[in-house]
Amino acid sequence: MNILKLLADLVAVDPDSYERLSGRRGALTSLGQTGRRAVAAAVPLAFGAVLTKAYGRKSSTILDAFTLALTLEYLESDFYSRALSSSLAFPGTTKAVIEQIAKHEQDHVAFLQATLRASGVEVPAKPTFDFTGSKNGTRTPLFPTVFQDFGTFLKVAQLLEDTGVRAYKGQVDALITDNDLLDAALRIHAVEARHAAHIRGMRRALGANVRPWISTKDESITTAGVTDAVYAGEEAARQLLPDLVNYFPKATSLVVTGTREQATISLGEAFDEPMTAPTATSIAGLFLV
Amino acid sequence: MRRRSFFQVAGATVAASTLVLAGCKDTEVVQPTTTNVLNLGSNDAGVLNYAYLLEQLEAAFYQKVLDTPPADMPKEELALFTELRDHEVIHREYLKELLGANAIPTVEFDFTSLTLTTRAGVLAAARTFEDLGVAAYNGAGKLFTSKAFLVAAGKIASVEARHAAFIHDLAQAPAFTGVVETSGRYTGMATALTPLQVIEAAVKFFPFTVITSGLPTA
Repeated sequence: MNILKLLADLVAVDPDSYERLSGRRGALTSLGQTGRRAVAAAVPLAFGAVLTKAYGRKSSTILDAFTLALTLEYLESDFYSRALSSSLAFPGTTKAVIEQIAKHEQDHVAFLQATLRASGVEVPAKPTFDFTGSKNGTRTPLFPTVFQDFGTFLKVAQLLEDTGVRAYKGQVDALITDNDLLDAALRIHAVEARHAAHIRGMRRALGANVRPWISTKDESITTAGVTDAVYAGEEAARQLLPDLVNYFPKATSLVVTGTREQATISLGEAFDEPMTAPTATSIAGLFLV
Repeated sequence: MRRRSFFQVAGATVAASTLVLAGCKDTEVVQPTTTNVLNLGSNDAGVLNYAYLLEQLEAAFYQKVLDTPPADMPKEELALFTELRDHEVIHREYLKELLGANAIPTVEFDFTSLTLTTRAGVLAAARTFEDLGVAAYNGAGKLFTSKAFLVAAGKIASVEARHAAFIHDLAQAPAFTGVVETSGRYTGMATALTPLQVIEAAVKFFPFTVITSGLPTA
């Protein structure tokens, strides 16, 4: 039993202690279910009770958020690296941009792994993915030509990037207690959004009716009951205000000039909506073997 | 009206010297002078005002472009600029709603340093505004103490990043150069700027002094 490590974990969940221990940058300030069980199993009863009190604070923890993020980054990173090593033909200068995107995803994986490792958590291994969505031939593939047809590749890339943007956004409130990790997550989130917009631009250049932002004017690339969760709720044309009663805009206000129909579309486009962890996990699950 | 909100509302048009009138009622007339001050305030409201100022700036910029578009800008690009303008107006009005009585006033900007008569000039300016806006949101998230405001800003931030990427594409600028870190701990993450850095970078567009000293720094 490593008492020093346990004490370090303990002070890490005490914000006051954390403030004084600036050297712990990058370590998780509160452990999730897995870490909590591992710690509790290793300590005497009385000490364990103290730890349980310290750790047992909230259901959605920083560890949970980072574990989800790592799953999604594994997914994206593996997707691009396999595309780049496949026989897929990349038109024009697109390969260089895809290589840059692939590098960013690798960087995100490395950062998340290092953060988890620094917190004494066992880093989840990269799962095995099947990007055709056939679960290794056990069901009808969703995207049979994902690494043969550039248009299909871009569609899957768009679905993964837009999912990433929404999934990170769904986790930021769990990170609000740790400015350092919140900062990192927001900055990864912004890169995913740039990726998504560029992928959308590549599709537009190939003739697809798609905008850089998520719009109800975009041609649909999802299948009901399978991939439509990627955009479910994105079209929201009003925002619930912090009083949890009123909405922006008020029912009678269009905010922008033009027709009511166009204003509704613009209101949906102007905000990217968060996605819950279970939804993000189930979308990633489409590509798990 | 509380003292703080009096300063904020009065800020854009009232000289620093008039602050001695702090005890006055908000109905009293105070004379603007040439030394205009805009105080963003403090705490979460200060951070929201900071975002609100930047959204006012972006919305005003796109409106100016649409009012007198460059002759060499194609119709389909102007149509997308109209959508961009609408997003920024929506962001602006949403933040104003969140701020309520704490909102800074509507302000006007100085775009005389920009070349808005050519497509290239417009795209260069749009790139400046959008990249700056994204870096501002990236740096501002951690300054919030309210989860509701953090999530609200996050919903806007990724749309700004999409705008920025779109402008990079239109301008045929490198997709990620200068906006994604390439070394250090933040490799692969978006660049972030503090409020002070952002206001300094945009100072030529503000015909007033922006006070950021009340904003949280962490």
